[in-house]
Amino acid sequence: MTSTAAASVVGQPVSRVDGPLKVAGGATYAAEFDPGPGLCHGAIVTSTVASGRIASIDTAAAEAAPGVVAVLTHRNAPVLPYHEHKGLTDPPEGERIHLLQDDRVRHQGQPVALAVAETLEEAVYAASLVRVSYRPESAVTAFSDAVAHAVPPGPRYRDRGLEGDGGRGDADAALGAAPVRIEAEYVMPRLNHNPIEPHGTVARWSEGELTLWDKTQWVDNVRAEMAAVFGLPPDRVRVVSPFVGGAFGSGLRPWANVTLAAMASRHVDRPVKVVLTRRQMFGITGYRPRSTHRVALGADRDGQLLAIRHEGVSETSTYETYAEEQLGSSEYLYACRDVATRYRVAPRNVQTPNDMRGPGKVTGVHALECAMDELAAALDMDPVELRLRNDTIVDQSTGVPFSSRSLRECYQAAGERFGWSRRNPRPGAMRDERGRLVGYGCASATWPAMRQAAEARARLLPDGSAVVSSSSSDMGPGTYTSMTQVAAETLGLPLERVRFELGDTRMPTAPVHGGSWTMASLGSAVQAACAEARRRALAEIGRADADLAAVLRQIGEPVEATVRTEPGDELRRYSAHSFGAVFAEVAVDPDLCTVRVPRLVGAYGVGRVVNPKTARSQITGGMVMGMGMALTERTEVDPRDARPVNSSLADYLVPVNADVGELDAVFVDEEDPHVNPLGVKGLGEIGTVGVAAAICNAVYHATGRRVRELPVTVERVLGAAVR
Amino acid sequence: MEFLSPATWEEALAAKSARPDAVPIMGGTDVMVELNFDRRRPAALLDLTRVPELREWAPDGDRLRLGAGVPYAVIVDRLADRAPALALASRAVASPQIRNRGSVGGNLGGASPAGDAHPPLLATDAVVELASVRGVRRVPAREFYLGPRRTARSDDELIAAVLLPAPAGPQQFAKIGTRNAMVIAVASFALALDAGRRSAGTGIGSAGPTPLRAPEAEEFLAAEFDWAGGRPPSPAVAQEFGALVAAAARPIDDVRGSAAYRRHALSVLARRTLGWAAADYRREMAACG
Ligand SMILES: Cc1cc2nc3c(=O)[nH]c(=O)nc-3n(C[C@H](O)[C@H](O)[C@H](O)COP(=O)(O)OP(=O)(O)OC[C@H]3O[C@@H](n4cnc5c(N)ncnc54)[C@H](O)[C@@H]3O)c2cc1C
Repeated sequence: MTSTAAASVVGQPVSRVDGPLKVAGGATYAAEFDPGPGLCHGAIVTSTVASGRIASIDTAAAEAAPGVVAVLTHRNAPVLPYHEHKGLTDPPEGERIHLLQDDRVRHQGQPVALAVAETLEEAVYAASLVRVSYRPESAVTAFSDAVAHAVPPGPRYRDRGLEGDGGRGDADAALGAAPVRIEAEYVMPRLNHNPIEPHGTVARWSEGELTLWDKTQWVDNVRAEMAAVFGLPPDRVRVVSPFVGGAFGSGLRPWANVTLAAMASRHVDRPVKVVLTRRQMFGITGYRPRSTHRVALGADRDGQLLAIRHEGVSETSTYETYAEEQLGSSEYLYACRDVATRYRVAPRNVQTPNDMRGPGKVTGVHALECAMDELAAALDMDPVELRLRNDTIVDQSTGVPFSSRSLRECYQAAGERFGWSRRNPRPGAMRDERGRLVGYGCASATWPAMRQAAEARARLLPDGSAVVSSSSSDMGPGTYTSMTQVAAETLGLPLERVRFELGDTRMPTAPVHGGSWTMASLGSAVQAACAEARRRALAEIGRADADLAAVLRQIGEPVEATVRTEPGDELRRYSAHSFGAVFAEVAVDPDLCTVRVPRLVGAYGVGRVVNPKTARSQITGGMVMGMGMALTERTEVDPRDARPVNSSLADYLVPVNADVGELDAVFVDEEDPHVNPLGVKGLGEIGTVGVAAAICNAVYHATGRRVRELPVTVERVLGAAVR
Repeated sequence: MEFLSPATWEEALAAKSARPDAVPIMGGTDVMVELNFDRRRPAALLDLTRVPELREWAPDGDRLRLGAGVPYAVIVDRLADRAPALALASRAVASPQIRNRGSVGGNLGGASPAGDAHPPLLATDAVVELASVRGVRRVPAREFYLGPRRTARSDDELIAAVLLPAPAGPQQFAKIGTRNAMVIAVASFALALDAGRRSAGTGIGSAGPTPLRAPEAEEFLAAEFDWAGGRPPSPAVAQEFGALVAAAARPIDDVRGSAAYRRHALSVLARRTLGWAAADYRREMAACG
């Protein structure tokens, strides 16, 4: 690192550089872009059967409605090439729905028509006039029916390293021989993406070039998919997405709004905007799939794990296979000789699920960590002690050492801040001043530290400032800010003289903004590009120690460097994961069985923390999501017709401010020399992992009752006690 | 859709009489949701926000006359001593934004069995004032709710106000929801004690096709409560009171909660509010003398 006044800016709690813009309403979100004259609005008509054919579709009334420019259906929509395209965030098995290309309906809420009109109101009204009748076909609607026909993820998932079956040793035999055993089933409902900004796109064609202003975590993939769908060379498509109003994974794939906006815009030869309604967010975008897990653990009487058997099944659609790594953590989180995992997917007539913050891990770790608590109870052992007893410095699923692992330090740090030592181990023994039952629970958290190739450009200007850019996204974690910090530190320029730009396919290529790998991947590229630009500037005047701003003034013209970085073999030599420990306090009304969460305390080992302020808010935000998963969130799907029942924010309950108590997140000191040049392991998702388990375990501690199906509703806490 | 925007109460009544199908809109916190979700597409909207009287409140004999359009926020801030149960319920409504707009008149207009204002109105024996070009009539809240979202209001009538008897003893309200705010009640309960008449009033929310009373529980409590000293009710009395309240409910299973839980919760809320009310009663007695 360079040695100027700015040298210590990495690691500082810098406030968001885009904060003032956002607070003042100056940040432009996808649907707010002005594409120039002639903008029309599209409103989507969606299917009302889970499976079948469109028998008839009558658009006459809609076409005659005021302001209507066009009504697109499979009968008049342009036939699109829909070339094969599988981005990293697309399921490798199956094929996306080809919108308005045929009469086939594969799920409730599938777009079957688009009304395009001068105003949004006119479009919505016209959409309501489209009459569709269906020839329903038999459908798998209930999850239980789908589970009966569950299958392994498939060969293309195997190529990506996601197997249906995994493990080591002989778990069944070890379980049979284990002196202490527990076995339980955990049910996790579907959880829907509900960022405050719904998905929306503005599309404009001019001279055969398509420009899309879109809400996305990956502009380059939107470009690639649209190029494939419309049969265009990718350089004829530009995607712009400078601000994202929350995504949590919902922006990983382009949804129907993108294709429909582009299709309609070409059809009517005017710019078109299509924004999903909140209800459509439940029928068109992906979601965290419903799943059922069965965990069996065996241990000796000292709490040494002897066997882990973990089986899980989650829902997918009939036209694509969405599989996620739900069980991997059971293979590496603890030391254990005999482990068996078995993962299946259950196809159902629904839209395809997709990644939601901490995909797979949030689900699998929930089941494992609830089971660990059950084991601790069976052993009459402190739950923290049980985890520490099975701590390991080697990833036993691969046999390679962890690049760094501070699980023990996390339990110590968080446990101390939480006051775990005050816990009376007996369930139901603690009360608060209001007479509520108090419970303390804990769980481990883990998320892999991954890295992708990334490219960044640093452009140093004669006025001593710098513009650094890459096509990344900032859906909320503070990428604008952290990249500015890395750039400023590397260049040796003050923070205010550095601007970071993102969200445009014209910029150097960033990896998808997901997987908690942006800091590791793009941070490395930004660092390298800035170092190279600085080197070039200093080389021009032949001095290595000069003040960069002065040098730039002297040179008098821009100095630029574009650098692509990629991971080496470090992730084969080391197993790299962030780890954490989260503690929950619950207060349970003994009569009403309402559960409140006065406190969540977590400690995390994530390598280097570039910005403790934005990092902390990543974790606490993740904790609130975990709380929602634990207590209120679930998408009710009608088992008769696979329709999401509670598709509004009045019925799909996320936590509100009044539900959130004290949130405390700290990072333990951790230096990881192996993972990447910055030494960062990623912290965007781990904050959600384990939270629901810690809460469930605390509910058990408060009440003596295991609630194994989420969310923890009053009925479930009250259980058999209800008359 | 026609938009009628009368500036005076007389114009409003005339408009409603001329267009009985016009949907009144006050705070709009129910109406706009219905329009947004396309549950309803009325031929005409009758905007009441320009009628000053609806936002006023004033004594009316020994009662408080509360204009139908007074928002919850005002009730919480200004009327907690004149209408304790209603103020407690108002505080439990939604969020600050909704409380700034939502009104008791709107709650009565929609007459959802889950509306938070209903249990206090029932428990305190409030009166609903209805008006039309034909005249004014006053209907006790206890006779107002006729069936699922059906009320004693005729199509040409508007809700002018509610009349709240001066509190003659402690009043309590309790609500259970799936989260701590912005939530429709899973069950709610209001209790009002009248020390002068030695009677008790109850109101049950979200546990039947309409807001309900528990008349047997009221009679039982009137007989069993220690009106002289406000002694804490014995566990047996509290238990029985809770059981009678639960028995008066007619809940169903829905996405927010099961019928069984609702009954259970009501018995708990009834016991608790009784305990709180008895404590208030003793405090008031001590303060008086
Ligand atoms: C986010 C949200 C949260 C909510 N939470 C709660 C809650 O916690 N508890 C609760 O009880 N409610 C809740 N509600 C519902 C709503 O806020 C209440 O019912 C409120 O009392 C409605 O009052 P308003 O003035 O907004 O009514 P409006 O929406 O204006 O009208 C409601 C109904 O009453 C009719 N009406 C209004 N005024 C008159 C009148 N003077 N004469 C005749 N008819 C009339 C209307 O035609 C309509 O049918 C919530 C609503 C929202 C949007």
